Amino acid sequence: MNQPPLSSVSDQALPGIGHRYELRSVDGGRVVVVIHHSGRRDLYAFTPTGEEPDAVVTFTDSQARTLGAILGGAYFKPAVVEEIEAVIGGLLIDWIKLEPQARGVGKTIAELEIRQTTGITVVAILRDHTPVISPQPEERFQAGDQLVVIGRQEDLPRFERHVARADQGVSDG
Amino acid sequence: MGDALVAIGGAFLAAGIFGRFGRRVGLPTIPFFMAAGILFGPNTPGLTVIEHPEDLELLATLGLILLLFHLGLEFSLGDLVDGGSKLLLTGVTCLALTVGGGLLFGFGLGWGTPEALVIAGAVGISSSAIVTKLLVELKRLANPESRLILGIVVVEDIFLALYLALLQPVLGDAEGLGDSVLQFSKAFGFLLALAATARWGARFVGKMIDTPDDELLTVCFVGLAVLGAGAAEELGVSEAIGAFGVGLVLAESPAAERIEHLVLPLRDAFAAAFFFAFGLTIDPGDVGHVAVPVAVAVALTLVLNLLKGVVAARLNGFRRNAAANIAFTTVGRGEFSLVLATLAATAGLDARVGPFIALYVLVLAVAGPILTTQSRRLGRWVMPERLFPPPANGQTPEVATTPA
Repeated sequence: MNQPPLSSVSDQALPGIGHRYELRSVDGGRVVVVIHHSGRRDLYAFTPTGEEPDAVVTFTDSQARTLGAILGGAYFKPAVVEEIEAVIGGLLIDWIKLEPQARGVGKTIAELEIRQTTGITVVAILRDHTPVISPQPEERFQAGDQLVVIGRQEDLPRFERHVARADQGVSDG
Repeated sequence: MGDALVAIGGAFLAAGIFGRFGRRVGLPTIPFFMAAGILFGPNTPGLTVIEHPEDLELLATLGLILLLFHLGLEFSLGDLVDGGSKLLLTGVTCLALTVGGGLLFGFGLGWGTPEALVIAGAVGISSSAIVTKLLVELKRLANPESRLILGIVVVEDIFLALYLALLQPVLGDAEGLGDSVLQFSKAFGFLLALAATARWGARFVGKMIDTPDDELLTVCFVGLAVLGAGAAEELGVSEAIGAFGVGLVLAESPAAERIEHLVLPLRDAFAAAFFFAFGLTIDPGDVGHVAVPVAVAVALTLVLNLLKGVVAARLNGFRRNAAANIAFTTVGRGEFSLVLATLAATAGLDARVGPFIALYVLVLAVAGPILTTQSRRLGRWVMPERLFPPPANGQTPEVATTPA
């Protein structure tokens, strides 16, 4: 059977269909990925001795991208980043994600009076992969925004209540 | 107007419902579209959706144009070059077998030389649509021989375009050798002119119709395809060649990939009308008269395809399973055979050609996929293992040619 060396990918055009990629796994098995012009992906898995695939699965374009991100380790990272808190000499840097129902969504930094109320400063907003660095007071938060904040550790819970928590009549405390 | 619309809508719906049934049992749609046309046509008892096949003529012609346009659009010299000289050699050898066999058979029928040439093409060229669909649905795209099968189909597609030019004098009612040469030159020259446009003028044509707007792009490429087909017809070259040529030109334009996506739903709808309309012209009574020739042709095709599988596998260092897959996957006949049958009918060739090709396609488009699902087992029965000596190094030569 067609067995390219380890860690190399063989690439062939399939006329009228798309492209076929093949790579070997560490246990000697093979994986063949067929990318259709339509965006559909077929994934064929072969055991070391198998001539017929042991499993064939089909993905849509977006499912395939998700799988690719998971395999590449990229998909998992945002969750890790969210938990990162860097404390340097009492100064805290944190990442906070705004869920759609968060209090701060749809309001500007000025309207929320963030610095005055919580003592925390928003230094950047990660939005759709394009960061807004040093946002102006008129900047309006959107659902899904990832806020990079800086301040004293003890002020953070207040910031979370004020901006990130779900808006259910919580007072400004 | 209303009754005409009811008829056309009924035709599409009948074709669609028949096709759905076919898909449910895992068969290609083409024979079912055609069967719907036969059953709901004027030649069979029961409900007649369309009394006169001419009522559907314009839609059917659009179907033929879009089929050939898409073929031209998909055509890529790059695919052929990537395959290397071995692919070309394999493809040409396979064609020589199947079309050559078809030609001998055609002359053997004794219906006349033009008829023999049309039958050679109809018997010799497999259906790209059926082959591609089979490989996807039987999940065989990972097999090493699948790439070879698709390559052979590409060679067949190119051959079809050239063959249409070659058939021009036959279909164009040429008289005498001089006239035949003239008509062939005209058709071939038309193809060459379009190929030259594709090579050097695609940028200009592309610029003319390329817009980021899908709506406008669709309107423009439909216009070009139909205009090209019509111009070809006016010049005395078949509309099929014209449409193929326009596809060839647009294949080289920057918008090619988008057009390929946009044309699919149009092609599917109008091609269904084409297959249905072809069915309308078939009288089951005539089919009975050609049953024996069809049976012989089907048997011959199976034998030639087995040979084709063995030869292609040997040339490329594949073993028996691969040979069986090549042989049976390419048995299906469909759109191209029916295009040739339609051109033959338009040219007024022997009236038996239409029913012959109809029944032949009906049998092989259904039998092909069924045989293909069992290709391994069938291969063990009919192909002796000793035909496939193991390669000296114990691996297929494919490995050696695969770039790391």
